[in-house]
Amino acid sequence: MSKDSKKGGISRRKFLQGVGSGIIGSYVLTPGIAKAAEALKKNSEKLILSVPLTLKVNGKQAHLLVEPRTTLAEVLREKLGLTGTKVACNNGECGGCTVLLDKKAVYSCHILALDAEGKEVTTIEGIMKGENLHPIQQAFIDHDGLQCGFCTPGQVMAAEALLLKNPKPTRQDVLEGMSGNVCRCAAYPNIIESVLAAAEKAGSETAELK
Amino acid sequence: MENIDLLYHARGESKFIDDLRLPSDALYAAIFYSSTGHGRILSLDLRDALLMPGVKAILTSKDIPGENQIGGVIADETLLAEDEVHYAGQPIALVVAESPECARKAVKKIKVLFDELPVVLDPREAFRKGSFIIPPRIFSMGNTSLAWDNCLVIVEGRAETGAQEHLYLETQGSVAYPTDSGSLKVTSSTQAPTAVQRAVSRVTGLPMNKIEVEASRLGGGFGGKEDQANSFAAMAALSALKLNRPVKLVLSRQEDLRITGKRHPYSSDFKLGLDSEGRILAYEVTFYQNAGASADLSPAILDRTLFHCTNSYFVPNVKATAYSLRTNLPPMTAFRGFGAPQGMFAIESAIFKAAEKMGVEPSYLQEKNLLKEGDAFPYGQSAEGCRAKESWLAALETFETGEIKNRIEKFNRENQFFKKGFAFMPICFGISFTNASMNQAGALVHIYSDGSIGISTAAVEMGQGVNMKLRQIASAIFQVSLDKIKIEPANTTRVANTSPTAASAAADLNGKALEKACNELLERLLNAAALKLKTEDKPVIINEEILLKEEKTGLKWEDLVKMAFDERMDLTSHAHHITPGIYFDKLLNQGRPFNYHVYGTGVVEVTLDCLRGTYTVDSLKAIHDSGKPLNPLIDRGQAEGAAIQGLGWLTMEEIAYASKGPLLSDSLSAYKVPDVYFSPGELDIRFLKASDNPRGIFNSKAIGEPPFMYAIGVFFALYNAIKEFRPEVRMDFTAPLTNERLLLALYSKEKNTVTA
Repeated sequence: MSKDSKKGGISRRKFLQGVGSGIIGSYVLTPGIAKAAEALKKNSEKLILSVPLTLKVNGKQAHLLVEPRTTLAEVLREKLGLTGTKVACNNGECGGCTVLLDKKAVYSCHILALDAEGKEVTTIEGIMKGENLHPIQQAFIDHDGLQCGFCTPGQVMAAEALLLKNPKPTRQDVLEGMSGNVCRCAAYPNIIESVLAAAEKAGSETAELK
Repeated sequence: MENIDLLYHARGESKFIDDLRLPSDALYAAIFYSSTGHGRILSLDLRDALLMPGVKAILTSKDIPGENQIGGVIADETLLAEDEVHYAGQPIALVVAESPECARKAVKKIKVLFDELPVVLDPREAFRKGSFIIPPRIFSMGNTSLAWDNCLVIVEGRAETGAQEHLYLETQGSVAYPTDSGSLKVTSSTQAPTAVQRAVSRVTGLPMNKIEVEASRLGGGFGGKEDQANSFAAMAALSALKLNRPVKLVLSRQEDLRITGKRHPYSSDFKLGLDSEGRILAYEVTFYQNAGASADLSPAILDRTLFHCTNSYFVPNVKATAYSLRTNLPPMTAFRGFGAPQGMFAIESAIFKAAEKMGVEPSYLQEKNLLKEGDAFPYGQSAEGCRAKESWLAALETFETGEIKNRIEKFNRENQFFKKGFAFMPICFGISFTNASMNQAGALVHIYSDGSIGISTAAVEMGQGVNMKLRQIASAIFQVSLDKIKIEPANTTRVANTSPTAASAAADLNGKALEKACNELLERLLNAAALKLKTEDKPVIINEEILLKEEKTGLKWEDLVKMAFDERMDLTSHAHHITPGIYFDKLLNQGRPFNYHVYGTGVVEVTLDCLRGTYTVDSLKAIHDSGKPLNPLIDRGQAEGAAIQGLGWLTMEEIAYASKGPLLSDSLSAYKVPDVYFSPGELDIRFLKASDNPRGIFNSKAIGEPPFMYAIGVFFALYNAIKEFRPEVRMDFTAPLTNERLLLALYSKEKNTVTA
């Protein structure tokens, strides 16, 4: 699986080991990690305190109290009830939990909720236009780009990030943009078709507007 | 055609087990499992774990009120280990706590001491030690010992295939709720609600009528949740019963990888004899099946290997012996193909080797020996409606394989370090559970007084589109639109005593039962219409309107249903279906185990980078016999997905165990599965035209498993590419053919043989 830089970053496991043994300096120091480390330092009885967090998810503000170690995926699923985001590996390897962070695709199991503060989080629940399906969702349905459906929200979000960045992707661009999302049913041929079709439809609609 | 499941999946609204909202008093379980492949438990120290705040209980085998047994075929598997562990990953204790995190933290505080015992991971070693799961199974036809004398060419060799992880993206999981009157409701990510119900009953000691099991949908199953969902549901149920609170158990990816069984690794010895014209005269094969620590479904899988050991070829003299061997690995289990791919890989290896020896192309031998109408399989059944040759010829013509060959030859002449290879892969796959009693299904149909329809069967939707197919069947019979038809989750209180959604047969079996139930209701409704219209003629329904002698009557579907309700007619029907005419004598190993066979021919083309040992699968094309496909869009998706999963099995998916038994490839960074890049540039699966199948539902054929085996061609296509670079190489038939093995084959200095 090619690892796109967009989905890089620090593994949660390494982060926890880092925080635990006080060697976080050897990892990328994100604001969330700094905040988590501070919370740990203040707190000698080893009880991890929850810290306040304001997240903007699908256009709505949510005020939360979370343990610093909490991932964005956990917050979305467990605190906000947004279970469309699936956790299939919890290790940044499968793409099931892909959401948008400031319009870029991220593995939400792989970043801390604290690091999403101040950014726009978009999940599968947030991309419909009212009652209408997003064109990518429609394309996945029309082109049978899914089977069991478990990876589908992640696939749709990866496709959305790709098309936001590159509205006219080539087939090769689609392969690259979607390569971080595993589909074990292997609906790949139809996933590729779905993304290309969604791009084409959006392109023709833009042309009409002009 | 609108598939309602897709809509909710695409919106992220479909609820899987881990998405269910639980009551606030729910608890969460986590499994403490063995870290060693074989050992006696000297001590189990739960104290520190029990002292953790939030931990409610830790359950061991001593807490099981019923039987500590989940072996469905053979009673050889405990739910929780007693005094010995037989594989790394074997569950020993269950922690039940207020949160999953708390339960997992407590698991880490459990201390166990083992007296380590010898670990056996290799099936041939288990064979030498006599560790058989069941007595040897032998299928034979003709007389091979007499036939060898007539053979001009005889080849012998070994074929090895590796394990394969299911990697359903939704891990195993279950929620159990205590309900009134000492009963339990269990929701499970299972392909087999009745099997879960039986397992829970056995473990809890409750009768089956006090256990309701429901499966709404699965985030992938592929066989991995046919038998192995049972234990996790039983664990959730046991915990719920003990604590009298709802309990959820959902495995983490790593737990799932370590605890659950995979596709069986096989090691096989083959001997193939042919006459001067390339006709196969005799085939002897011995399969060593690595069953893992307990039987699970291994005996049935072993049989399916034997049933498919001659693939789509006629072999007059066959002796096939199969051993199911107990090793210290997690119990291996069902996986798409159910033993057939392993059997088919062995004979394809033998044919490849014979072709090498005879200096002909393997496809020459493959074509020459294809089954013809009426040819006998080595288990007493003969080929009926045989489409082996038809699909082969259609593949030659449709895909212009002659052109492909010329193009590849030209490419190989012009390129030094990139070589192309190409191979044919014919398939023949029998449809039915080979355990005849499992070929039954029930369907319950309600027509509600507003004309909407609810359907219950045992079919579990897991991406194969069975819900859509069932809706199509009801829609065709009642002549109502799809949006009037809802498929209910499989639930043991609505349809009882059911078979798993497996063996590619869910649409066939449940569809036939549904057809019967719908037809009964239709008959009642039409009689009511005739009464109302005061006619002796039989009205018909077309597009929700009641017609009499091709004239509209003004009566619509809703009117008819309302009228029937007012007339106090029963608008519910239950029907039961059994596959007719199938039987199998397990002593003689003769009978008619299959309702029908699925045929097809695949063609695989690869390009190998001979410097790096990397490759691309340029195309996988196939002419596939799906009868009259019930839903061509769904069936094509199934065929493509199966083929890609097969490509993974033969190439990149490599399971590694440490010598003491623990799984090394326990994450997706260590275990690679096909991604969108790996998907063949051209994946072109077409349905054989002018086919039908009176034995299938609406003349269709089962689709889930057969196309998996087209992928076997990739192994031989890669082998051909290697030979273009290094003509003298004679490689072992060992799959998966990983990049590492490819590089060894390209450059190893070992003379003429490469053992990776």
